[in-house]
Amino acid sequence: MAWWRWIAAFVLLSAVGFFLGGYTSDVYRKLLLWVTLALGFNFLFGIAGQIAFSHFAFYGIGAYSVVILAFHFGLPLPLAIPLAAALCAVLALAVAIPSNRLEGFYLALATIAFSQLFIIVLNEGGDVTGGTGGLASYRLPPAYDVLPGGPWFTMLIVFVMLATFAVLWRLDRSWFGRACRAVRDNPEAAAAMGVDVARTKVLAFTLTSTFAGVAGMAYAFVDNTVNPPTFSIENSFLLLFMIVIGGAGRFAGAIVGAVLLYFLPLWLSPVIGHHHALVFGLLVVVVIVLQPRGLIGVYDALARRWRGRRPA
Amino acid sequence: MQDFLELIVSAAASGCIYGLIALAYLLIIRPTGIINFAVGEWAAVGAFGGVVALSTAKLPYAVGMAAVLAAMFAVGWATERIAVRPLVERGAPVLSPILALLGMLVVFRESISIGFGPDPFPVPYPLGFERFEIGPLAGSRHAFFIIAATAAVFGAAWWFFERTLWGRIFEAVAIDRRAAALMGINLRRVAVLAFAAGATIAGLAGLLVSPNISAHFLMGLPLAVQGFSALVIGGVGRVEGALLGGLLIALAESLTVRYAPVPPGLAFGVPLVLLILFLLFRPTGLLKPRGAH
Amino acid sequence: MSRGALLEVRGLTKRFGGLAAVSGLDFDLYEGEILGLIGPNGAGKTTTFNLVAGAYPATAGRVSFAGEPVLGLPPHAIAGRGIMRTFQHNRPFAGLSVLENVLVGAHTQFASGLWSLVAWTPGARAEEDARRRRAEALVEFVGLGERRDAEVGTLSFGQGRLLEIARALAGEPRLMLFDEPAAGLAPAETVRLAEIIRGIAARGIAVLLIEHDMRFLLPLAHRVAVLNFGVKIADGAPDDIRMHPAVVDAYLGDPGALVGAARRDGGAHAPA
Repeated sequence: MAWWRWIAAFVLLSAVGFFLGGYTSDVYRKLLLWVTLALGFNFLFGIAGQIAFSHFAFYGIGAYSVVILAFHFGLPLPLAIPLAAALCAVLALAVAIPSNRLEGFYLALATIAFSQLFIIVLNEGGDVTGGTGGLASYRLPPAYDVLPGGPWFTMLIVFVMLATFAVLWRLDRSWFGRACRAVRDNPEAAAAMGVDVARTKVLAFTLTSTFAGVAGMAYAFVDNTVNPPTFSIENSFLLLFMIVIGGAGRFAGAIVGAVLLYFLPLWLSPVIGHHHALVFGLLVVVVIVLQPRGLIGVYDALARRWRGRRPA
Repeated sequence: MQDFLELIVSAAASGCIYGLIALAYLLIIRPTGIINFAVGEWAAVGAFGGVVALSTAKLPYAVGMAAVLAAMFAVGWATERIAVRPLVERGAPVLSPILALLGMLVVFRESISIGFGPDPFPVPYPLGFERFEIGPLAGSRHAFFIIAATAAVFGAAWWFFERTLWGRIFEAVAIDRRAAALMGINLRRVAVLAFAAGATIAGLAGLLVSPNISAHFLMGLPLAVQGFSALVIGGVGRVEGALLGGLLIALAESLTVRYAPVPPGLAFGVPLVLLILFLLFRPTGLLKPRGAH
Repeated sequence: MSRGALLEVRGLTKRFGGLAAVSGLDFDLYEGEILGLIGPNGAGKTTTFNLVAGAYPATAGRVSFAGEPVLGLPPHAIAGRGIMRTFQHNRPFAGLSVLENVLVGAHTQFASGLWSLVAWTPGARAEEDARRRRAEALVEFVGLGERRDAEVGTLSFGQGRLLEIARALAGEPRLMLFDEPAAGLAPAETVRLAEIIRGIAARGIAVLLIEHDMRFLLPLAHRVAVLNFGVKIADGAPDDIRMHPAVVDAYLGDPGALVGAARRDGGAHAPA
């Protein structure tokens, strides 16, 4: 994809941040973070075919790591950030390597267990993690004061989102992306073609989980608070629903799904209060039964019909 | 020692609940190969069924329980028809029914939340919760009730698989779907029965556990995870494995809470750690599948 | 023969429990040669194939390829050495197009690392372009040119078989393993298949071919090795094999299978 398109996207999306007030700015930032998570999870689940519910746990690991390193251990931010990223990567590797022999549902189960263990560790972490209440009394040091709360911080989040998008997009359109899909579709045939299945799975998991962790680090400074319920398994389900409804395996699908399910609760709340999950569950069932390719699939089918061409 | 025995009884009761959930999974996985995480929510539906039938309508326990179980049978049947059959008929990839069931999980949970709100609802005890003694063992009456009910269910399940034609049919479908179909077995009927039976048993588990912990709209997922852990640890292929796994998990949990010097919150991590260890080192579980070939 | 064999198999043995599926098998395969491996059901052909392809470990024996030992390597390493295979029951990657399937076959030919991919260095770009052009050529070679961007689900069985071949060829193999390639194909398709396989051998690629269909195999192969009960009972030119008493004996149930093949081509087809 032409590099100037990425620059243009960066400029446009960042510019939006300059026109938004306090509340909408917050909504926008969180939307960008959800899109980032959705893009990563789409690669892991839709492209690499791994059913993992650990994505949100890594989001939390990134968030908590950077806060703990910078404020509990007092490390300067330029050191805390890369260290937190490294921690995410190492932990992701530690989960990926043994998980790699687990297929389908066993992997899902192991990652569910991992997520729940993470929450338990957070809850019982005493002063370090702030226990069930989490951590809230931190602020970026004055030197960085220009960042949080301002449109410049929004720009940083736009950068994180686009960087995740760009890297995964590039990888998808290369031998690595094809290898991930091949492993997803038929691991035995993939191996016969020379794909190191184990290595591919571990790489896909580690990469996407680390991206989730980096997004988490940005998240830590959006509300300046981190607490356990945010990183629960419920949000991992929501992420999965975004991908399935939007269209698994497609970048556009991930974005559509994330944006739709992010705004749906806001639009639906007069009708359904905070029971929006009901609509999501129903949508998922409807999508899977009627159009497994998700909303993007619906769009594709309509586009084909409109163009008057039959599928190739 | 007394203390320890009482702990054993209460752990056994918890283990029975996990075992029942594991059995619900097993009944569905064996003939259809579908992993149904919604069993936890089915248990929640059963618990809330108990709220309606026993707390609100104040039916006698036996009547109320029968009503709830009948309703659960219908719920299972409906789940299969709506979320599973259209996919299987279409030849959708294996993942699709599982995702659809995840969607159903959320639908069930939110429906309960809408219908009953976020607060816990008490469910009456069938026999009360007073202390009861059988020889050296002591525990609440309800604990013994749970154990007795579970023993009955597992006994029936064992008898079903070992001694009845339908049990053989389930096994045949589990071993080779296509061959079973060629032999004239109606796969659809087996699938819908599997789901209906699974829902009934899960509902029973929910009904049994709810007097202790109250019916709450979030109770489903932890039960689902514990149930699935019980299945993995005990051995996916065997009815007995479900119960064995459940008892082991409950025992590990109780012993840790009672005797280990860790905060109680961490003790809930024990089943999770056990599960992870088993998944990594012994994914087939403790018991080998029957007639392993 | 002065040149060494590309593939040397010595004493290959595989036991499953108490049963020896393959026992003490020796054979050689030379560049550009088509070696057919035949035998009645249960003779050990598939086991031999799978052992060479790395699907499971052998009980005993040696396999060397281009002088290097390869027995016991995992399948992806075997592909990396230049040995590619097709599957008897087509195994396409359902989520990828025809061309992308073939590009997966070229996996071992990509040298750019992940960092180069992310940075999209000129080297990475050039490699992708080159492999893509090569894949397109292979798709043309097997005759799937118009279906290049099609979803694999829309291919007929025969086309799926052609895809298997193009995909394996994309790995630039020196040895191609064909697992019953003619199975399930219509007669016209088998003619095309034979042409393709001859074309492959003509490029200097060694071909090991398991096949049941004698009418397809005997005219095509340069040499035939016959297995029965896991043991090689004959090894030679197709014409010699047809008459070989042990071979005829092994096919006791169907002596007409060999005779029929002889009559059909009337000896007019000499191996290419």
